[in-house]
Amino acid sequence: MSGLKESLQKFHKIASSPKEQLKNYLAQDKKVVICAPVYTPEEIVHAMGMVPMGTWGADIEIKEAKTYFPAFICSVMQSVLELGIRGEFEGASAIIIPSLCDSLKCLGENWKSSVKNIPFIPMVYPQNRKADFGKAFTKAGYERVIADLEKATGQSFDDAKLTESIAIYNEHNAIMRQLSDCLNDYPEITAVDRNAIFQSAFYMEKSEHTALVKDLISELTKTEKTANNKIKIVTTGILVDAEDLLKILDDNDMQIVADNVASESRQYHVDAKPAETALDSLSCKFADMDNCSVLFNVDKAIAQYTVGLVSKYQANGVIFVMTKFCDPEEFDYVMIKKACAEKNIPLLLVEIDRQMTNYEQVRTAVETFKEILK
Amino acid sequence: METVLKKAKLSRNDIDYVMATGYGRRNFDPANGELSELSCHAKGVLFTNPQVRTIIDIGGQDAKVLRINDKGILENFMMNDKCAAGTGRFLDVMANILQMPVNELEKRAELAEKPAKISSTCTVFAESEVISQLATGETVENVIAGICNSVASRVAGLAKRVGIKEEVFMSGGVAQNGGVRKALEKELKVPIKWSETSQMMGALGAAISAYEQVKKRGVLNE
Repeated sequence: MSGLKESLQKFHKIASSPKEQLKNYLAQDKKVVICAPVYTPEEIVHAMGMVPMGTWGADIEIKEAKTYFPAFICSVMQSVLELGIRGEFEGASAIIIPSLCDSLKCLGENWKSSVKNIPFIPMVYPQNRKADFGKAFTKAGYERVIADLEKATGQSFDDAKLTESIAIYNEHNAIMRQLSDCLNDYPEITAVDRNAIFQSAFYMEKSEHTALVKDLISELTKTEKTANNKIKIVTTGILVDAEDLLKILDDNDMQIVADNVASESRQYHVDAKPAETALDSLSCKFADMDNCSVLFNVDKAIAQYTVGLVSKYQANGVIFVMTKFCDPEEFDYVMIKKACAEKNIPLLLVEIDRQMTNYEQVRTAVETFKEILK
Repeated sequence: METVLKKAKLSRNDIDYVMATGYGRRNFDPANGELSELSCHAKGVLFTNPQVRTIIDIGGQDAKVLRINDKGILENFMMNDKCAAGTGRFLDVMANILQMPVNELEKRAELAEKPAKISSTCTVFAESEVISQLATGETVENVIAGICNSVASRVAGLAKRVGIKEEVFMSGGVAQNGGVRKALEKELKVPIKWSETSQMMGALGAAISAYEQVKKRGVLNE
């Protein structure tokens, strides 16, 4: 087996077995804290000597969570709760759930009632995060998270340790940005492969993931570059991890040359910069973040950002992957659609949710979009 | 396929190229190629009506709006979201509740005095609304006109997102329903063309596409 294939397989294995990863960390006597989407201060968990493990739910049939959620709500949230009720996070010391959208607020409250053995720790973010009062609010939220983590896990917090963790996370951010660009020269890396690389990052300690990504980049650079005849697309949305959807992109010779997806590149846009304390640095990082539907921006900069990605990466079009019942994304879709139309950028809207079993309508839409792009 | 060939007095060897379209296109082994039904509808409609710039295709399980540019090339489209409201399935369900064939809806809708208000949000909700309307004494004709308006309202929303450019043509099976057609004209404030063969536009487009493939290959079976 070639080094490249072997390297890719590692990502696929981890991306497809988060429970296995959790068990492995627990077997190493490490404490694990589950981090719900969208932006959770993983660095704090890491600095306290624990493993932050991200979750974006899973493509599963939602049964138990329906006791707590109405039918018309984001299936990412529903599936996170479903996994919790089913015991998929068994052994975790706590779960941190941020309050970045209304559905997430419901998830936290429902978690308290339905998964009693894993304590719920809220992270309340401000809407106005850029002003000093917003940064102070974020910092106070982080302090609350630290206090709750200390109580739930018995671990303690040290600002100097947070500085070290921030350095590890910044390095990971940089390598993920580098990887995303690097993949564009290798059309043989499929959309399914690309997703496995991004998804596995949530289930690993970041230093371990950084090492794996460095290995992959090294293997890629050893590979001879081939002619790239694929259709270049930019994806945007909250979540684009459904294998059936990604296979449809691959079947239609489409290559994701850049993304503005919350569970992918949006995680790595911004690094924490030095500040008076490490916690201030982390608060400022959140203030600096943008181009995401759950981060308030009066100018809706996300629309121009999307157009900018298309221009920077010379993409042929944009695929907006709408997670059904995601209100913030539905608001932003209009702005992005208008901005793309002004620049004559073809845009396809596809709707997905965690309970989809049939993607034929999406296939029809993608095939037709391909016809337009040709 | 055998039945079709038999009816046309042809054999498989007489056919140079089979283009499959529709949701089952990938599972049709005898096909030489496949093309999405949106592209096929666009080809079929443009072949018969070259001046058309917007196509509204309401089929049994979904609704689509396609916009064609001045060069006759598909430039934008929208499909309905995962909901039967605004599709032919919606009409089937309603006809079933009213215990009449679906093709009778048009005639009865014309007799309506004041269309009832029926939800365009959800087929299941609309089903209970129809039953409630009938239970409170609303006439069947008014309810049917309300059902047609409901489909039109849902699809008009989709069409407005794509942007209406005249001429507008309606393809797909629901084009046969004058009640929906008229309600759509009212909603969109444009005349809507259609034909008795609206339902066949996708198949026609697939055939044209197959012909193009054969021409490209340069070997036409005489």
